[in-house]
Amino acid sequence: MRSLLDFLIRHSFVFLFILLETIALVLLFGFNDRQREAFLTSANSMSGSLFEWRTGVENFFSLRKENAILVEENTRLHNLLEEIADSQYVNTERSLSSERVIAARVIDNTVRRDDNYITINKGRRDGIDQGMGVYGPDGVVGVIMASGKRYSVVMSVLNGSTSISCKVKNSDSFGFLEWNGGDPYVAQIKDMPYHSAVGRGDTIVTTGFSSVFPENIPVGTVTDVERSKNGYTLRVKVNLSVDMSDLKWVYVHTETADEEIDELYKQTVR
Amino acid sequence: MDRSSFLHRLYLLIGLVLLQVLFLNRICLFGYVTPLYYIWMIVRFDSSMKRYATLLWAFFLGLAIDLFSGTPGLNAASATLLAMFQPGIVKLFVSMDRHDVVIPGSASMGGRQFMGYLLLLTVLHSTVYFMLRSIPLGDWTELILKVIFSTLLTWIFMLVTEYLVAGSARKR
Repeated sequence: MRSLLDFLIRHSFVFLFILLETIALVLLFGFNDRQREAFLTSANSMSGSLFEWRTGVENFFSLRKENAILVEENTRLHNLLEEIADSQYVNTERSLSSERVIAARVIDNTVRRDDNYITINKGRRDGIDQGMGVYGPDGVVGVIMASGKRYSVVMSVLNGSTSISCKVKNSDSFGFLEWNGGDPYVAQIKDMPYHSAVGRGDTIVTTGFSSVFPENIPVGTVTDVERSKNGYTLRVKVNLSVDMSDLKWVYVHTETADEEIDELYKQTVR
Repeated sequence: MDRSSFLHRLYLLIGLVLLQVLFLNRICLFGYVTPLYYIWMIVRFDSSMKRYATLLWAFFLGLAIDLFSGTPGLNAASATLLAMFQPGIVKLFVSMDRHDVVIPGSASMGGRQFMGYLLLLTVLHSTVYFMLRSIPLGDWTELILKVIFSTLLTWIFMLVTEYLVAGSARKR
C-alpha cells in the first residue's frame, strides 16, 4: 500500500500532464462555433490594445503609401459626386435609408489559415454589430462575425464559412462567393446558373440583395469558368480585387433601414 | 524554486509571448512556414526543476500564445507535450553519469549535442503542432512540408540565439 502511494506521489506529474492535456484538447476540439466565437471576441478585446499598438508602429512606416491611396480614393469619390450632381436624377429611396459607413483600422489579420479572421478597432460602442458588411478601397473584405465593446472580429472572405451574394457586373447572373482554402488571392463562385453570360475578364460585384453590402462593391475578376460536376451550374474562379494580405483601413456598411426585408427573409427561410 | 528565478522565468515567458504574437506570427514564408520560437523557454528548462513545474510553465506559455493567436488549446497542448518529453530528450544528449544540474546549452552539452537536442525538440513540437492544427488529417504532403520547413526555420532562429547568448557569456 505504502509503496503504491509512494509510486503515485513520485509520478504525480503524469496525472498533471494528463489533466493539462485534457484541458488543452477540450479547448481545441470541444468548442462549438458559438464558444469559439466567444473565445475569439474576448481574446481579441484583451489583445486589441496590444495589436493596435503594433499596427500604429507599422503604419508609421507606410504613411506615404497610405496617403497616396487615400488621395486616389478621394479623387474617385469627387468624380462620383460630380457625376451625381450632373445627373439630375436623385434616388430618393436610397437617400432616405439610414445608410452609414464607418471607417475602421485593421489591427490584426491572417490570410494563411483555413479560416481567417480580421480584427478591427471599432466595436458596438461605434455602432457596429454582427452581420454587417466590410469592404476596403478595392473591394469586399468580409462580414462582421462578432463585436465587442471596442473591437470587432471580421469573418474574412478567406474563411470556409463566408458566403457573399455577388453577380456579374451589368448583368443579372448571380451566385455566392466562397473560398476553399489555399491561395489568398483566388475565390470561387458556386452555383451560378449554367445559362449565365459570364466569361474570363468579367468583373464581379456585390448584388445588394441583402442589406449586408451596398450594390456594386467590387469583388474581383473572373479568371476561369467551368461546368460543375452535376452539369447544371457553373464554377467560376475569381481573382479577388482586394489584396487581403495588405489591408490597413476598411469601411463597415451599417444599413438598418431594411429590417423589413431581414424579417421577411427570416420568416421564409424558416 | 526561489523567488528571483520565478520572476526571471515570468519575464522570459512574457518576452517570448510578445515576440511570438507581435512579430513571429507575422512571418509566413512560402505560405505556411512560421517559426515557433517560443519553445526556447522549454528548451532551457534545467534538470533541477520539478516535473510538475515544467508542465505548468509550458501549459501557461502555450495558453498565453493561444489567447493572442485565436487558436484555443493548440499551443497549450503542443507545449505541454514537449515539456513532458524534454527531460528524457536531455538525457539522450548528455552522458549518463552526470548528476549535476544541466542547463541545456552548447557550453554544458557541447555544440554538436546541443544542435541535435534542439533539432529533436523542434521536430517533436512542430509535428504535434501541425498535426493538431490540420485535424481532420487529409493532405499529408502539405503537413510534412509544413513540419520540415517550420522546424528548420525555428531551429535556425534558436541556433542564432544560442550563438549570441553563448558569445555574450564568454565575454563576461
